[in-house]
Amino acid sequence: MEALGNQRSRREGGGPLAAAEPRASWLSRLEHAAFAPVTETSRWYYLWVAFLLLVIAWGVYAYSHQLREGLIVTGMRDRISWGLYITTFVFFIGISHAGTLISAILRVSQARWRTPITRMAEFITVVALVSGAIFVIIDLGRPDRVLNVIRYGRWQSPIIWDVLAITTYLTASIAYLFLPMIPDLALFRDRLAGRVAPWRIWLYDLLSVRWRGTGAQWRSMGTAITTAMILIIPIAVSVHTVVSWIFAMTLREPWNSTIFGAFFVAGAIFSGIATLIIVMAVLRKVYHLEEYITEKHFVYLGYMLAAFALIMIYGNVSEYVTTGYKLEEGAEFHFRQLFLEQFAGFYWFYFIGGLVVPGLLVLFPRTRNIWGVVAAALLVDVAMWVERYFIVVSGFRVPLMPYEPSSYAPTWVELSIMVAGFALFALLITLFVKVFPIIAVWEVAEDQESIETAPARRPLAPGATLDPAEGG
Amino acid sequence: MSSQIVVKVILVSIALGAAAVALAVPASASHVEAEITTEGPAALQVKLRSADQGLPIANAAVTLSADESFGGVAGRVELGQASTDQNGVATVRFHRLSAGDHQVRIEYVAPSETEPEVATAFVTMPGITSQVYRSSAGVHIPGLNVSLLIALVATVWAILLSVALRVIAIARAGADAGAPSPQPPRGRRADKSISRAGATGGR
Repeated sequence: MEALGNQRSRREGGGPLAAAEPRASWLSRLEHAAFAPVTETSRWYYLWVAFLLLVIAWGVYAYSHQLREGLIVTGMRDRISWGLYITTFVFFIGISHAGTLISAILRVSQARWRTPITRMAEFITVVALVSGAIFVIIDLGRPDRVLNVIRYGRWQSPIIWDVLAITTYLTASIAYLFLPMIPDLALFRDRLAGRVAPWRIWLYDLLSVRWRGTGAQWRSMGTAITTAMILIIPIAVSVHTVVSWIFAMTLREPWNSTIFGAFFVAGAIFSGIATLIIVMAVLRKVYHLEEYITEKHFVYLGYMLAAFALIMIYGNVSEYVTTGYKLEEGAEFHFRQLFLEQFAGFYWFYFIGGLVVPGLLVLFPRTRNIWGVVAAALLVDVAMWVERYFIVVSGFRVPLMPYEPSSYAPTWVELSIMVAGFALFALLITLFVKVFPIIAVWEVAEDQESIETAPARRPLAPGATLDPAEGG
Repeated sequence: MSSQIVVKVILVSIALGAAAVALAVPASASHVEAEITTEGPAALQVKLRSADQGLPIANAAVTLSADESFGGVAGRVELGQASTDQNGVATVRFHRLSAGDHQVRIEYVAPSETEPEVATAFVTMPGITSQVYRSSAGVHIPGLNVSLLIALVATVWAILLSVALRVIAIARAGADAGAPSPQPPRGRRADKSISRAGATGGR
């Protein structure tokens, strides 16, 4: 583990590239770090992929059972007609904000410390969107009728808005992942010839779109990235806003909220940051990226996590205090089930375990390190899934008419398919890392060049802290 | 024994007959007589007149209700309220009742009375061939419609298309530059020929 103090002293010494170390050696190490996941495959890699495939195969079997027997094999019924599938769908759409939104915000704010982590953030977005979208189809009793959404859809329906928003976001995210990857794909094309299978070289050649690094190409890519990063922020916000509207525009007491959109967007970024931290930690460990993904990255993302924890706490207080003060009949039922009865365990775990404790882990100096931030991120991700679960299920449980409240318990089919969905997410990330550059090589190199050419900085005064805005 | 049964049957018959008379149109309660007629599938007309002289009772508040069930929940549904005019006629309009016989409860307060009186009548509503309920929800704001949504989505996709065109431009520039040569990893700053202004990319 690398201490921030070490980081600071290295910066004072002129940057990560030590004065005595030749630039060629540093670039060589950077290249090796980028190529290693593609060129070197351990036995554990195959075991891991085999394990994920087994889990996915079990999920496919469970889904085939559901297709044969119908949705009766799930715990969903007429009164509670959404369960684990929609919960997981909302969760995945949420963590898709890890990437593109965080990466775009950091690019716009010109935070230089982002360069080693943007690529991971961007591919999490694409993979999460693909994994999440599948759950909408799984939730359909008749998946063969999925195109009816397009054929018979109405523009006035939030479902159609959702389809439009997610499709646009996926397209824009793929573009935003692809554009900054072009120079690195060209690097792979040029440097890995003869070291990897020919199909990979063919793929790199195709995707690098004849990149030669000319001035005209840099200019075109710069314009394209600028356009995409500005465009993708409102698209990402719109996606989770529209997902929230699917709930908020349905006549259900717990969903009658005007802040649902903002609340969902904040929650999405919150869980997105947490997922990015977890993926960073795993890839850093597995592919030995300690030189590029340092404790500084975890701590800075931890600060963002703590900030969003505060926003989420504020959102909870604002939402429930205003609704609870008026306490209409349906709200009274909902508050009772949420805070005291059926969902009390879920809610209080979410609030204390998912909002308060992670914030404290980041804020206490003793736990403000890689392990502390990763533990906070794990808590946040679990809690945010739980939050989506009780939002979906408790919302349906409030009776619309004077009948006995229904109940919902997921079956083995739903649990199997959900776990398979997470396995698919992990598998896609694993395969992506195996084929594409895991680090934005040219951006890290450019960052290094800018440090080398920047005027020497004054040493930090004793007790001074590292300013995140400096770009570290 | 048999004579007692005959007496009981006669008494029950008299009671049922009295009940039938009480429920029949026109309905009457105390000194007021109420007559109810259908006005299409969504309106009922009530006529009130004094039982002794048959004079119309004006300015009486009339409330109609009926026992209905929906979705397994049964209960009394208020159909509507109206006041009688100079002819003693009040027309109550409501969302349509289903076709068939309905028992309607007529509650009215005569001008000189303080307590409401209640009468019951059977009406037969005509068959319904059109949509029972037509939603009038929503406020139409000029310009805020589907066209705006389509324009917004089209704009976003047009911008995405412009990004795709930039990728094509990159490929063309690469074709003009000739065959690739292995290059070290480097940023734009390493390429002196680059115009910084055009290649900032927000960094």
